[in-house]
Amino acid sequence: MRIVLLCLTTLLAVASEPRSAAADLKIVTTTSDLAAVAKEVGGDLVDVTPMALHTQDPHFVDARPHLALALSRADLLIAVGLGLEVGWLPTLQTGARNGDIQTGGRGFLDVSRHVDLLDVPRGRVDRSEGDIHPGGNPHFMLDPRRVERIARVIGRKMAELDPSHAAEYGQGAERFVQRLAAARRGWERRLASLRGTDVIAYHKSFPYLADWLGFEVVSHVEPRPGIPPNPRHVARVLVAARQHHVKIVLQESFYPESTSELVAERAGARLVRVPGGPDFRAGESYRDFMERVVRMLEQAARS
Amino acid sequence: MKVIRNCVAAAILLPAATAWAQEESEELSPEDLAAIEAATAEDAAALEETAPSAPEPAAGAPSESMNPDLSFIADFALAAFSDDEPDLQTGAHDPRDNGFTLQQLELWVGAAVDPYFRFDANLVFGLFGVEIEEAYATTLDLPAGLQARVGQFLTRFGRLNATHPHAWHFVDQPFALGRVFGGEGNRGLGVELSWLTPLPWYVELVGSVTDAAGDESARSFYGADDPGVESPLDFQYTAAVEQFFALSDDWSLYWGLSAALGPNPTGRDNRTEVYGTDLYLKWRPITYASDQEIAVQAEWLVRRRQVPEDVLTDVSGYAYVFWRFAERWGAGLRYEHGSPAYDLEGDRAQDYLDPEWTDHRHRVAANLTFWPTEFSRLRLQGAVDYPKWLDEPVWAGFLQAEFVTGAHGAHPF
Repeated sequence: MRIVLLCLTTLLAVASEPRSAAADLKIVTTTSDLAAVAKEVGGDLVDVTPMALHTQDPHFVDARPHLALALSRADLLIAVGLGLEVGWLPTLQTGARNGDIQTGGRGFLDVSRHVDLLDVPRGRVDRSEGDIHPGGNPHFMLDPRRVERIARVIGRKMAELDPSHAAEYGQGAERFVQRLAAARRGWERRLASLRGTDVIAYHKSFPYLADWLGFEVVSHVEPRPGIPPNPRHVARVLVAARQHHVKIVLQESFYPESTSELVAERAGARLVRVPGGPDFRAGESYRDFMERVVRMLEQAARS
Repeated sequence: MKVIRNCVAAAILLPAATAWAQEESEELSPEDLAAIEAATAEDAAALEETAPSAPEPAAGAPSESMNPDLSFIADFALAAFSDDEPDLQTGAHDPRDNGFTLQQLELWVGAAVDPYFRFDANLVFGLFGVEIEEAYATTLDLPAGLQARVGQFLTRFGRLNATHPHAWHFVDQPFALGRVFGGEGNRGLGVELSWLTPLPWYVELVGSVTDAAGDESARSFYGADDPGVESPLDFQYTAAVEQFFALSDDWSLYWGLSAALGPNPTGRDNRTEVYGTDLYLKWRPITYASDQEIAVQAEWLVRRRQVPEDVLTDVSGYAYVFWRFAERWGAGLRYEHGSPAYDLEGDRAQDYLDPEWTDHRHRVAANLTFWPTEFSRLRLQGAVDYPKWLDEPVWAGFLQAEFVTGAHGAHPF
């Protein structure tokens, strides 16, 4: 009994200690791309932890309890939204016991509410269409124009939560936007040849990239979102690829690649495996990540 | 034609692009910066104009309504036993007879109540009635890492008890839970308080008080006899320590210790104590593209019951490994053991709840699981059950189909 009491008092002592003052804002993001943007906007004033790795499909993340622990100590949770994280984030939010980061709390930011969305289904939808997102397609982080907007929104949210550094967050966001916009112009020039071309994609991950760069996704290797390819459908995709003289097959790197490889090879196209986001731990910025994506597209377009 | 055009375009653009890339890496002149700033400001303004400040609400999208999230989960099974008399299955949702079974039709309802509470309910429809398995509110914003639950809930004893069939890796429930707590698992009306400690790793302390009656949910306590509550000792008290270790990105370890204490009906002030430990080790590579996952889960329960002039002690538990070897396929193997009840002398004693359980029982089950999507599941399971008090082992085969419709529920770890 005495040991139990001792343990409890120790725990209480640890609990009552003030939280570490290393950074002013503790931020948890669902994905690594949001983490990279938040880190660049907030700089040293923020401590950013992404929950999903860039090598991981953000639809299927395990709600590992240490993520709830991170959320319990967070001032701000930034999520992509539109149901991308619906299979795991709510468990963690409830388990975190932190009112701020609950949906609707002052420390919860759903960035999808601040971008103009694509693929928003009209009318009733159901899952016979596959694992679709009724609110719209959530893969907008591949469009730097939308990310520029998101950076400003994140900066404003940081300023709201930590008003004493509002100016720094505002400047951080503007600096991010300007650098990204400058880089974007370069990317647009380098990828101008993609405009008007037709591509094949594995999952519906690229409507925003297509919207930005002006190419068209004419077919998907997945027959419906979330449904693995079957031979009959792949045959159709291959026919479409040949008819449209497709030069590029796009897929995110965490999806299985053999079918996409087959389609690419048979259609005389190149498979581009787009990374799932910046390697945040290695310090890769959003711009470096997009530069990597652009280089891949450039190489594929050239060949 | 297109190819030629693309090549030409690339040839023209390539030098420009390389020049830009070089330029970008060098220091930009103040004029460049000013020009960039002007251009970006222009673009930003254009974006502000074109992009709506809020997204167009999708007409009738479920996320726009104030209704709670609803989902229906249906589990159907076809079963064949080499001998279905006596009935050896202990789970209330287990297939128990040869032929078809509606294991459950579960309606899950969940929503935030207000900024302080969320509410979840699991209503289970059988062919002959409805049952409120769980209906509870959870606090969202208590200070100091505390959280309370109020209502009817499955107690957080061990790992499997608080889960529903949708989360199981096997068609049926391990017999240990049915034997100790009852077919529905340990649950009751009550209050739970849990504390997420501020330690650097995940340590959660859980304590709950629930009613101690219920043949299917608290059978080692008051069970079918319900003498009512006259003192705080007439409740069931449950405590658990749960720890999680993120060993690496790919490896997770979850370890729990649990205890449930309460009265039993065998005599005045007679008590039952159940102690358990559970371990869950999971390997799921997320640092590279893979569909594979391997989970090992084990749970052991020791039960001590005061009976007139004696104390009965028994041990039961299970261990399984489940390997998801492809995107849509998985396979599992489970071993279970249940000892007979022993008295204070260490001799086998007659158990007043399961008088036939006079010897060791072993059961092994294996299954193959196919998920067309994450919303449907087909499972083929075979088992051999060897209660040594029977002359021959009992073989069983199950084919289960599960369908989930409605809101996408969030999965606990």
